[in-house]
Amino acid sequence: MINSFLRPLFDGLLYPFRGLHPLVGLTVVSLVAAIGILYVFKLTSNQDKLAAVKRKIHAGLFEIRLFNDNPRAILRAQLDILRHNLTYLRLAMVPLLWMIVPLVLVIAQLQFHYGYRGLDPGQSTLVKVELAAAAGRPQAILHAPAGVAVEAGPAWLPALNEVAWRIAAVEPGDYELDLEIGGESLSKSVRVSNDVVRRSPIRPSAAFADQLLYPAEPPLPRGSAVRAIHVVYPPGDAGIPGWESEWTWMIVFFVLSMVFAFALRKPLGVTF
Amino acid sequence: MSRQRRAPGPCGGRVHNVLRAAWSRAQRAKPSLGVAALVLALGCGGGGQGDGGPKVIVLGFDGMDYGLARHFMETGAMPNFARLAESGRFGPLGTSVPPLSPVAWSNFITGMDAGGHGIFDFIHRDPERMIPEFSTSKAESSERTLKLGKWQIPLGSGKIELLRKGEPFWSVLERRGVETTIIRMPANFPPSGSASRELSGMGTIDILGSPGIFSYYTSELFAADRQVSGGVIYEAWEEDGVVHAELHGPDNPFLVEKEEVTADFELYPDPEEPIAKLVVGSEERLLKVGEWSDWVPVTFELIPTQSLHGMCRFYLKALRPELQLYVSPINFDPLAPDIPISTPEDYATELARRSGRFYTQGMPEDVQALKAGVLDRREFLAQAKIAGDEIRRQYEPVLADFTSGLLFYYFGNLDQVSHMMFRAIDRQHPRYDPVADAPFAGVIEELYRQADEIVGYTLDHMADDTLLIVMSDHGFASLRRRMSLNTWLYERGYLAVKNPDLSQDPGFFANIDWSRTRAYAVGLNGLYVNLAGRERDGIVPPAERRALMEEIAAELLATIDPATGQPAVTKVYRREEVYRDRGAIDVGPDLIIGFARGTGGADDSSLGGVPPEVFTDNDGEWTGDHGMDHETVPGILLTSRPLKRPATELKNLAASILAELGVEGFPATADPGEK
Repeated sequence: MINSFLRPLFDGLLYPFRGLHPLVGLTVVSLVAAIGILYVFKLTSNQDKLAAVKRKIHAGLFEIRLFNDNPRAILRAQLDILRHNLTYLRLAMVPLLWMIVPLVLVIAQLQFHYGYRGLDPGQSTLVKVELAAAAGRPQAILHAPAGVAVEAGPAWLPALNEVAWRIAAVEPGDYELDLEIGGESLSKSVRVSNDVVRRSPIRPSAAFADQLLYPAEPPLPRGSAVRAIHVVYPPGDAGIPGWESEWTWMIVFFVLSMVFAFALRKPLGVTF
Repeated sequence: MSRQRRAPGPCGGRVHNVLRAAWSRAQRAKPSLGVAALVLALGCGGGGQGDGGPKVIVLGFDGMDYGLARHFMETGAMPNFARLAESGRFGPLGTSVPPLSPVAWSNFITGMDAGGHGIFDFIHRDPERMIPEFSTSKAESSERTLKLGKWQIPLGSGKIELLRKGEPFWSVLERRGVETTIIRMPANFPPSGSASRELSGMGTIDILGSPGIFSYYTSELFAADRQVSGGVIYEAWEEDGVVHAELHGPDNPFLVEKEEVTADFELYPDPEEPIAKLVVGSEERLLKVGEWSDWVPVTFELIPTQSLHGMCRFYLKALRPELQLYVSPINFDPLAPDIPISTPEDYATELARRSGRFYTQGMPEDVQALKAGVLDRREFLAQAKIAGDEIRRQYEPVLADFTSGLLFYYFGNLDQVSHMMFRAIDRQHPRYDPVADAPFAGVIEELYRQADEIVGYTLDHMADDTLLIVMSDHGFASLRRRMSLNTWLYERGYLAVKNPDLSQDPGFFANIDWSRTRAYAVGLNGLYVNLAGRERDGIVPPAERRALMEEIAAELLATIDPATGQPAVTKVYRREEVYRDRGAIDVGPDLIIGFARGTGGADDSSLGGVPPEVFTDNDGEWTGDHGMDHETVPGILLTSRPLKRPATELKNLAASILAELGVEGFPATADPGEK
């Protein structure tokens, strides 16, 4: 239910950036995320105590510099710094716990916007149907819409418990592949576009963990003989050529978020 | 489940056999080329708008024959060539001695003959070690290593050295501020580094350090016992619905004991339908029987922080009754090149990003797989088309980027395919079969049509003031007969063998008795005197060298091929007579043999073997060739306007191009009378 709310929300939030270079959207998203993180941090943390413990850590560091010829004083100062660091971590844990769930949900949504590149017209990829249980050759038919061509398949691969097709993108667009597997009718989205749009590499099962990890598309019906349907998208590069990886965007996102958070902490009056 | 057996093969073809077998030999004789390579690693239509400077585009079609081109122009198959010839000039272009691609292109590059640039053949011999070796480049791994148990750390970088001497003509242009783009120039690996943009071509190695070693996986019994030249056959079987096998890379340079690096792959066949899924690392492909995959990237992990990046194409020949899976030579991945293949180093990557991955090995058409019977002629043509299409596709953005200066772009497809398909247009060829060859009778014409389309595309997309030069390095002829020079020398007492009854000569001079040998042959057209003080076991005193050469030359010219009743050799040159440039002449053969048109050197002999017969019918797949009397196989020169400085042969074409760009005096070392 959360996913069905978040999907259109993020589609709408990222809509203005869909035709722009991925770094543009990621920069704005990182800025907004940094502001959000700072705001939550400010609200959910004890700012006075955090400021006090930071002062104590600084005092310890100063003590080490001041008494650098006194090993006992240095050792005592280091122990104090360690103790205050632990206190700092404890104080920071509260806002982190507040943020972790929304951050996971946000990251999961962003992953499916920035983690994969779109298919170009003429490009081929695989559609893979993971079967829930080993059985004989299932009846399998893939009905492709006009913008997608079926090049090969179905191939039944008993060792993988899988049925696979090779499809080719023909024209840009958002499409639904209709599959008939062992009497079940299922669908799977496929997007032929290089814009920053939500791409779903996996239509997962109805299991909670699968829905948490793959929120880009509604899950398969409960009790389906199909465990998951995959459309293989190439990994994204966040607009940085040569950095093709599903996680490139996340590195960019975290680095930019940290930079923005450090830059805005004083203007927003946040101690961390 | 698979069982692999490496089978470096004996000879059975021509140039590629020579190269690949020499590679195998080099593998045994010294640290592998592949290892050295590894250690070393540690829109269209816009072109031609111009920036105002002079513009010259040179299109190099390897092996385009003057006679055939003229014929196809006359029949209307090459309308763009005909159109260009009307405004400019079309004629034969004198080739090199001998007329072999690395020699010919080096003549063009340096403005010197082989005596100056030092490339006399595909294969030279090392007179100190007496083994055949590559003529154009040499790779060496680092000699200094730090050993840590079974591991070793190279303390220096290896090197790949271009052996061609002389200054490339584009270096002169760059010094004068003229921008040059040199794409796939043969005999330019590693790239010279002096052009604004360069991509290496013929001579570029695959990941094994060879010109290209294919792999073939099959469930046929005893298949791996078969030795084939230019490839390795592995046995592979399906077990529980999957075939597990390995792609084979070079030896791991980080291991003290030689150990090949491998990358696993799996093939999952559909139990009923002719289709299978291929899994290589994180890459997955679905292949129908009879389909080629796109490039599949392959990573060979050397140590946790170092990997080697290759790529290959798969061709699923059959799943039943026996598995038959062809894998192309593993090429260096241009998206992550581990060896220098371009200038600047990321130019290959830029090209791959713009028009897709491409064969980086120098000669991509897999003639060896056809000769080995792993691919049939249709399959070979499909593979050659893939390679040719890649190069044509890549030409479009390169041409679009060209605004001024010089652009050279090389097309090798015509040469390689002509080698394998020539019999289809020669009814006198021993292999000609009117039924089997009928479907291929139009292949060569189609190659010329494709070249014409490229010229047409160029004319449509270049600025009006651009000079377009279309040239080839040599022509072509049917290869009906083969002559073994070493056997000829043996029968006349110039060469002695250790065991005259040897059933299968392994080549590489293994059966030659140097203590009684006065002359020997290696390479396709080279004949050497076993000279005292030069060759390791030389016996001919230098004072007798000239007389011996003249004696052999006279006998060769008088030799009649019993099957044709015609002379088998029409030219024999002494190197001191035929080459006017002398800077690197000592590397070359003492005599250069010009076989009669229709005859070529035997492969076994070219690798230092002594096969039983002097003359044989050419019964192999390699049915067209050009390693003959150079006057019988001229290339072509077609220009969009008359050149200020006409060129009649490859050697002075570069000077003509430079003159068009306002540069005189190339090459600096050449005899001015040459021009």
